[in-house]
Amino acid sequence: MTDTATIRQRGRRLTQAAVVLLCGWVLGPIYLLVLNAFSAPDAVTGFPKRWLPGFDLHSLRMFVEFQGVAEALWNSVLVATLTMILSIALGAPAGYALSRFDFRGKTAFRVLVLMTRAFPLPLLALPLAVMFIRVGLDDTPLGLALVHTTLALPFAVLITFSLFSGLPVELEEAAWTLGCNRAQAFRKVILPLVLPGIAASAIFAFVISWNEVFAASVLTVQHRTLTAFLLTSLDVSPLPLKFAGGFVLVLPALIFIFAVRKYLFAMWGIANR
Amino acid sequence: MFSRRIAPLVMGVATVLAASVAQADVLFWSTQAKPIEETQAMRTNVLKGFDGKVDYQANDGGPWLTRLQAELKAGKGSIDVLGGLHGDFSTLPEGLTDLSALDLGGAKVNPGFMALGKLGTGEQKYIPWMQATYIMVANKKALPYLPAGADINALTYDQLIAWAKTLDEKTGGPKMGLPAGPKGLLHRFLQGYLYPSFTHSMVTKFESPEAVTAWTKLKELWTYTNPASTNYAFMQEPLLTGAVWVAFDHTARLADALNKKPDDFVAFPAPAGPDGRGFMPVIAGLAIPKTAPDMAKAKALIKYMLQPSTQVATLKATNFFPVIDVTLPADMPASVRASGAAIAKMSGAKDALPALLPMGLGQLGGQFNQVYIDSFQRIVLNGQPIKQVLSDEANTLRAIMKKADAPCWAPDAPSKGACPVE
Repeated sequence: MTDTATIRQRGRRLTQAAVVLLCGWVLGPIYLLVLNAFSAPDAVTGFPKRWLPGFDLHSLRMFVEFQGVAEALWNSVLVATLTMILSIALGAPAGYALSRFDFRGKTAFRVLVLMTRAFPLPLLALPLAVMFIRVGLDDTPLGLALVHTTLALPFAVLITFSLFSGLPVELEEAAWTLGCNRAQAFRKVILPLVLPGIAASAIFAFVISWNEVFAASVLTVQHRTLTAFLLTSLDVSPLPLKFAGGFVLVLPALIFIFAVRKYLFAMWGIANR
Repeated sequence: MFSRRIAPLVMGVATVLAASVAQADVLFWSTQAKPIEETQAMRTNVLKGFDGKVDYQANDGGPWLTRLQAELKAGKGSIDVLGGLHGDFSTLPEGLTDLSALDLGGAKVNPGFMALGKLGTGEQKYIPWMQATYIMVANKKALPYLPAGADINALTYDQLIAWAKTLDEKTGGPKMGLPAGPKGLLHRFLQGYLYPSFTHSMVTKFESPEAVTAWTKLKELWTYTNPASTNYAFMQEPLLTGAVWVAFDHTARLADALNKKPDDFVAFPAPAGPDGRGFMPVIAGLAIPKTAPDMAKAKALIKYMLQPSTQVATLKATNFFPVIDVTLPADMPASVRASGAAIAKMSGAKDALPALLPMGLGQLGGQFNQVYIDSFQRIVLNGQPIKQVLSDEANTLRAIMKKADAPCWAPDAPSKGACPVE
C-alpha cells in the first residue's frame, strides 16, 4: 500500500516539476522582454539586472512616436483577419470533402496541399510581385492576405480534415433520416460540433499571417504590416529598442491568443468530448 | 455570424480602393539607415526640408532587391528613388536611369566616387550619397594594457595581438571582439583590412604565402578574442555591456557606444601589416529606377540630398560622412567627432592603403563574400590547414571572377579581363 502511495506522490511531484519547468520555459523570456522593455537603456545594457522594471518608457515611446506604427498595426490586423476568413472559407470545405467523400486523386490532393509549403517564399515572391503589380493587387491588404492564405491553407485543410473525420458519419445520417437535407444536416449538427476546432485553425491562420515577413515586405510598400514594418529595423537597432520592439510585436498576438484561448484546447479534437 | 464575417471583408475592399486613389509621396526605397532611430532621424530631420512629402522606407537587401526587380519586370512601379550601397546597385545597372545630365545645384562630389557610380558602364547609374568606413574602438580601461611603445593611432597587427593577449591574461578573459556573427561584417575586415595589409591585394594573392601569414596572425588574434564574437553583429552592443573592450566594426555600427558613453571609449585607426594600413571606404549611392512614377520629383530629391545642409543632417542621422566638400559645424555628435578623427588619421597615414569594395561582380557579390567567410570558418573556427583551405577556396574565387568577368580593383593591379587568382 505504502509503496503505491509513494509512487503516486512521486508521480505528482514529477508532474508539478514538469508544470513549473514548462511555465518557466514560456514565461521566462516574456518576463525578460517586459522587464527590459520597461527599463531605461542604461539598465538594459547594465549588469547586474534588477528584478523589477524601472518603468522607464523611453524605449517604448520611441515606438509609439515612430511614424506609421499605428497604421502598420491596423494593416496587420486587417491582413491577418482576411487570411483567417479566407483560409477557413477555403480550407474547411476542402477538409470536409477529404473526410467524407471518396474521389479520384484524393491522396494526390492531400500531398499537393502541402506542396505550397515546400517552396521558399523568397523564391515565389518575385513572380508573385510582378503578377500583383500587373493585376493591381499590389500593395493591398487583400493581395497579401491571398499569399498568407496560401501559406495557412495546408494547416486549415488538414486540421479541419481531422476534425470532420473525428465526427461519426452516423450523426449526419441520423439527421438525414429525420428530414434534414445535406446542407441542413451540416449546419445544424456538424457545424456546432466542429466550431471550436475551426476557431482553433483560424487562430493558426491568424498567427501565420501575423508572423510572416518576407512576402509582406516585398508585396506591400505603403501598406506595411507591423511585422514587415518593424522587424527589418529591429534586427539592427540597439538592444533596448529590440526589447521594446519585441514587446510591441508580441503584445497584440498575446492579447489575441488570450482572448480565444479556450478554443485552442479544442484543437486536435479534444473539444469534441 | 455572417455579418460579423463580412464586415472586415468590406473594410478590406474599402482600403484596397482607397489605396489606388491616394499617395503621391515620393517613395525613397533604401537599404540604409535601417535601425529604427536612424529611420526616424531620416524622416524627421533629413527629409523634412524637401519640397514635397517623402516616404522613406528602409529594407533588408533581399526584399529591397526583389521588390525592385518585380517593378522593373512588370514595367510599372511605385519606387521613385533608390538608396543603397555600391554593391546593392551593381546587380542591376540596366534597370537604372542615366543620371549624367542631372543638375546637382553646384554640389562638388568626390570624382573618384562619381566614377564608381558608373558601375562599369558609360552612364552615371548612381550618384554618390554618403560614405563610411570601418575603424576600431576601445574602452579606455584597455589602454593601460597597450604594449610598451605602441602608439594607438599607428598600431600594427602584431601590437594588436600582443594587446589582446595582455588583456586576456590580465583582465580575466578575452576582451577583443570581431563582428563574426551571421549579420556581422567580418568579411569586410578580411577583404579590406587583413588581406591588403599583408598581401597588398584582395583577390590576386588570395592563396599566396603572404596570405598564409595573414591567416596565421588572425588565428593567433582569435585565441585572445571573445568567443561570443561569432554572435556579434553590431560591436557597439558588446562594447556598451563591457563584454568586449577592443573592437573592429563599421563606423555606423560603433556610433551608439561613442554617443552613449563618449568619455568611456576612444576611436582609432585599423592596424597596419607589412604591406600597409589596409582600409575599406564604403560608398552609398542614390539612383532612379527606369519605372519611377515621378521622374522629375525623384531627380529633385537626389539634388536635395546632395546639398551641404542635407549632407550634414544625413551625417548626424546615419553616421555616414558627406561625399561633397563641406565644412562640418562644431555641434556634431560625439560619435562623428571621434570616428571622424580616427578616419582622418587612418586615411592620412603614411602607410594608408585604401581597398575598394568589390566591383563588377553583379549578382555574384554574395558568393564572393562567402569565399572569405567560408575560409574564416574553416581556418579559424574549425582549425583546418590554412594552405589546403586557401587552395580550395581559391578555386571557387577564380570561378566567380571568371563568371563575372570582373577586372581587378584597388589594391590589386589593374588587369585585362577577369581578375586572376594566382
